[in-house]
Amino acid sequence: MAMVFKKLLRNPVSLLGLVLLLGFVLVAIFAPVIAPTPERYKDDPYRIPRYGWRAAPSPPSPEHPLGLTHQQHDILYGLVWGTRTAFRVGITVTAATCLIGVIVGSVSGYIGGRFDEIVMRIADVFMSFPFLIAAIVVTTIWGRGLTQVMAAMIVFRWAGYARLMRGSVLQVKEEEFIAAARAAGVSDAKILMRHIIPNTIYPTLIQASMNIGSIVVSVASLSFLGFGAPEGYADWGQMISYARNWILGTPDNPLAYWYAVVYPGLAIVLFVLAWNLIGDAFRDIMDPKIQG
Amino acid sequence: MLNYIIRRLLFLPIVLVAVTFFVFLTTAFLSPYQQLATHVKDPDELRRYAGNLDALVTKYGLDQPFYVRYWNWLKNLVRGDLGWSESANMSVVEALTKRLPATIELALFAVIPVIMGGVILGQTAAMNHNKPLDHGIRIFAIVGWSLPDFVFGLLFLMYFYGALRWFPPGRLSVWADQIVMSSSFVRYTGMNTIDAILNGEWQVFLDALRHLVGPVITLAYLWWAFILRITRSSMLDVLNKDHVRTARAKGLPERKVVTRHVRRNALIPVATVAGSMVIGLLGGVVIVETVFDFKGVGMLIAQGAQQLDYTLVLGTTLFFGLLMVLGNLVVDILYAVIDPRVRLE
Repeated sequence: MAMVFKKLLRNPVSLLGLVLLLGFVLVAIFAPVIAPTPERYKDDPYRIPRYGWRAAPSPPSPEHPLGLTHQQHDILYGLVWGTRTAFRVGITVTAATCLIGVIVGSVSGYIGGRFDEIVMRIADVFMSFPFLIAAIVVTTIWGRGLTQVMAAMIVFRWAGYARLMRGSVLQVKEEEFIAAARAAGVSDAKILMRHIIPNTIYPTLIQASMNIGSIVVSVASLSFLGFGAPEGYADWGQMISYARNWILGTPDNPLAYWYAVVYPGLAIVLFVLAWNLIGDAFRDIMDPKIQG
Repeated sequence: MLNYIIRRLLFLPIVLVAVTFFVFLTTAFLSPYQQLATHVKDPDELRRYAGNLDALVTKYGLDQPFYVRYWNWLKNLVRGDLGWSESANMSVVEALTKRLPATIELALFAVIPVIMGGVILGQTAAMNHNKPLDHGIRIFAIVGWSLPDFVFGLLFLMYFYGALRWFPPGRLSVWADQIVMSSSFVRYTGMNTIDAILNGEWQVFLDALRHLVGPVITLAYLWWAFILRITRSSMLDVLNKDHVRTARAKGLPERKVVTRHVRRNALIPVATVAGSMVIGLLGGVVIVETVFDFKGVGMLIAQGAQQLDYTLVLGTTLFFGLLMVLGNLVVDILYAVIDPRVRLE
């Protein structure tokens, strides 16, 4: 693992990704320093402060370096605290889906036979449904909110990991050291935990690291459509949906409100780009065959 | 080949029943009163029974056990009855038929550029392996893959509509809409471009085309990035194979080597991901239609969900499920056409 990390540092592409990611981590950690919460919002720092009642955005100024978006919500504040939201969403969903996928996939592959067949067909159903539409259905029934969106993601995203994990387990299962362990009387549960999972988990982990970006995009799209974060919550997708009302600008300056679209857009793109750059390099390192 | 298709078709009903079951399962989370909304045929009925909703619950058998309700629901479904949509103020089937042509039109215009563009970019990158062009295309791929469609769509609208006035949102300009709505204009398909050609209204055709540019590019670029990456790596793989070396050794011009011996083999991995592409495009349609105010099925479900119109959301989902099953079927058959080995499995 240490070697992989060294390679990631040496590759300029992944180095750029790591630097970007480090930047986002620092922004998330030091959010209260970079964008201090005004006194009247202290009880809920994730609420984006508003500075006035006008609907139209206000351009960047010394007090608000990135300007104010729809209904005078502070863009810098929303983006900085939204970084925390992005990490929370991305990591929670990835960890949960990965965990479910690893357990289901390895047990299914290890047991095999008809059980495996049934589990995999169920996984197929979950994988073949347009995820965004599934999430829309779930939020219609469970109600709007980030928690519901995350739950929907977990329900519909575990199957990919399960399938991947099962594939690797099927390969390792027939190895001699597993037969040896079984001959020595090691229990099935222990064989899975000690011998099979540690030897098969890496492809799944790589896949997971590559998916964090796309999860953040999916959640942002749902917030954009109005199913995710509640009104006024620091979330990048929500900030883009604020900007939606103001893409036309004023008659004499059609690009007057550019900052309301460009800054939140840039935050999402850079965040996803960071994960994709790392994921791409990671894949090349782990699987030299598809490199080049 | 025929055998393979028949086997796939026989499997279809099972998949369809599974899809309907999963969609119905979601209604189990609703209370009988909420479920009522998915059964009542028109608003008058609700008004007549106001204050006595329990009678309605009994009438539609919502107090029955799950499997009875499922069976009743399936029977309605087969009759083509998906219920009454509160937000669209018409039956769900009517709303779907009204909105469907727009989405089909969008999909038709998007699919060919998506596949052609992706394959050509991937091929160009592979042929220029490790040259500046290859690096340029790779950078495009990774940036494109990182740029969410709703961000791209808004930036596109801001510049090409807001600043330049080239590509407006919606499906038609007001003047074109008036022509389309007039009695002399025959609606053959509901797709503006095709109807305009059939009616000989070239100005309307151009206007419809102008409104399609933004949605199509927004749907396409993400998948260009995706397909080009796969095409590129599989082309590189195939380029090193023995049969390619033989083809070159016997003096075949490079262009023929690529079109005859490399591309066909390199397209196999592309075909395998086409299934997930169909799924992704269905999801993408929701975003793209919403951003560009393109009144199709994707926008219908998004708006229905915002107004908590369960009937509409479930009906549309079912419809999307159907589309996805059929899409996957087509992809599988295409896959078997490209790769003869699949048929023998």
